[in-house]
Amino acid sequence: MTTSGSLYGAAAVVGIGTTPYRKRGTAPASALRLTLEAVLAACADAGLDPRSLDGFVSYANDSNEGIAVGSALGVHEIRWSTMVWGGGGGGVAAAVNAAAAAVACGQAEHVVVYRGITEVDDGRGSYGRGHFPPLLHSHGLLTPAQICALRTQRLLEVDGVPRSALEALVRADYAHAQNNPAAVAYGRPLDPAVYADARWISEPLRLYDCSRENDAAAAVVVTSARRARELVERPAFILSGVQGATRGWSESAENETSYTSAGFHPELVRRLWDGAGVKAGEVDVVQVYENFSGPAVAALIDLGLCPPGPEAGRFMTVENLTAPHGRLPINTAGGNIAEGFVHGIGLVLEAVRQIRGTSVNQVPGADLSLLLGGPMAPLVSATLLGSQRTLAGR
Amino acid sequence: MGADIAPGVPADLPPVVERHGQVVAAGDQRATLADFRPDRIGQLVASAALPDRMSGSEVLSIAPGDGGLMTAHIRYSGVDGERIVLRSRWIRLPQGWRVSDVRNVPDTPPVLAPVELGGPDEPYWAAAREGELRIQRCGGCGEWIWAPRPICPACHGFDLEWPVVAPEGRIFSWTRTWQPFAPEVRGHLPYVVVLVELPAAGGRRVLGVLRDADGADLRIGLPVRGEFDPPASPAAVPLLRWRIS
Repeated sequence: MTTSGSLYGAAAVVGIGTTPYRKRGTAPASALRLTLEAVLAACADAGLDPRSLDGFVSYANDSNEGIAVGSALGVHEIRWSTMVWGGGGGGVAAAVNAAAAAVACGQAEHVVVYRGITEVDDGRGSYGRGHFPPLLHSHGLLTPAQICALRTQRLLEVDGVPRSALEALVRADYAHAQNNPAAVAYGRPLDPAVYADARWISEPLRLYDCSRENDAAAAVVVTSARRARELVERPAFILSGVQGATRGWSESAENETSYTSAGFHPELVRRLWDGAGVKAGEVDVVQVYENFSGPAVAALIDLGLCPPGPEAGRFMTVENLTAPHGRLPINTAGGNIAEGFVHGIGLVLEAVRQIRGTSVNQVPGADLSLLLGGPMAPLVSATLLGSQRTLAGR
Repeated sequence: MGADIAPGVPADLPPVVERHGQVVAAGDQRATLADFRPDRIGQLVASAALPDRMSGSEVLSIAPGDGGLMTAHIRYSGVDGERIVLRSRWIRLPQGWRVSDVRNVPDTPPVLAPVELGGPDEPYWAAAREGELRIQRCGGCGEWIWAPRPICPACHGFDLEWPVVAPEGRIFSWTRTWQPFAPEVRGHLPYVVVLVELPAAGGRRVLGVLRDADGADLRIGLPVRGEFDPPASPAAVPLLRWRIS
């Protein structure tokens, strides 16, 4: 159901690259250097001369502007330089969508989407900067953890989502990380007793409910469908992409309308599915941004991938969420929580690997791979990636 | 001496607590850290506030507490005469008794470094200094607006009012924060932030720090009443405190 003006199948991810995830504050190089390494790796993966990159996209006020990255690489020409405004990690899928929009309209041909963070360059808490005005800060609300804790508390206490749903998500992340040598939690399986007895961060969130920032960078290269087929065997086609915030959602000092929603409001969700002509139940694998466990569960509920309320506990089990045979495998590289956290950019790479068939936790025959960015952030976004087969099927 | 040791306290704990107080007061960091649960040393170290230079410690009491933990109160004396009481809760691990959590008592709210005020919030802070809760409302269509904005998002009027609102409502959500996210919260952890729904302002929700939150059994929907604490310093802002009514 390709419609005029639709992104459907017009662009694809052809290259992915990442640096190692290091403990925050320990990177041996600047965020720009790490970003350049990741961009070069993504280009090498795509078989593309980095000088032919002509578009640069990031989100969450990455400290290195597109022109800095492009000029450092000596690219022939910069034709597209875009920052997604607002929403921290909620902009991650929106950045991919912006790159796809650029190539779909012929504004650029090879667009790189990147995000790099080091504590030395960006400080602590760079992921939440600018979202803590005096009304929050003065009252002791200093971090995204506490905002997500307030919303998760109501999700549990009023909506009736059981704690076990949060735990299942975290344990699935950790289980997947055990097969991923690049994950920070590789070789460190999570004992359920340790999860349950870990120190409180901000109730109801304990330590393992929270992602922990790393020093790293990652990048993906987006190009037109035509060019993608020339470059690689298995492009990950962008079938649909959405970003948004509904009325009353953003900048509301905790007056967000659907308070326990992750922010994927019904119109946005409908645009996502309609744009690709698929239904929630057809998705094979999901990379759901877990800044914290509660918001990730709320995101799956918003998308119709998990039932709301107490029923969420029945669906959210380690078995259901784990590849290869779970009903809905999530975060198959370990996610922000167990692979590493650089504002969710790692989730994009893993969403692409699932379409390529190269994940360390591959879902057999995965054709529809969903990326969900930044639940409970002031702006959220999503991208649905598909294989060549999903395009041929229509 | 003269610590109040309650029945049910294992006999091997009081000497450990006594020694802990002594090494803390002596500034022996290595011995202090060795008494903490190894999975939360950083959090514990940054949670409690002590006098800069100490002259001694006194164990006030030890008693069985929640969750099988033992609760100890230790008073530390500063060389300048300052007295600070910490409440530590102890767990028996295979390697011995360890501190599982610690806080200053009584509980006091964090006072954050002054932030840039101004913009649409300014009338809120000005009223707060007078002890009044004022919430923004559109003078044209009556829409309650929160967070404050330079325009009414409903009718696009710029005629915005700030009526006084009764500081009464119900807890819409809450979180008890344990992590020392900023240096200023040391000595005030854990503290409870409540989000309160105000019937008198069209159900708009405001934040605040709960009073008497130490050990409180919190539930969404509990009725609360608020008042402003005067600024802790001339540069600080008044803090909206809520109390379960």
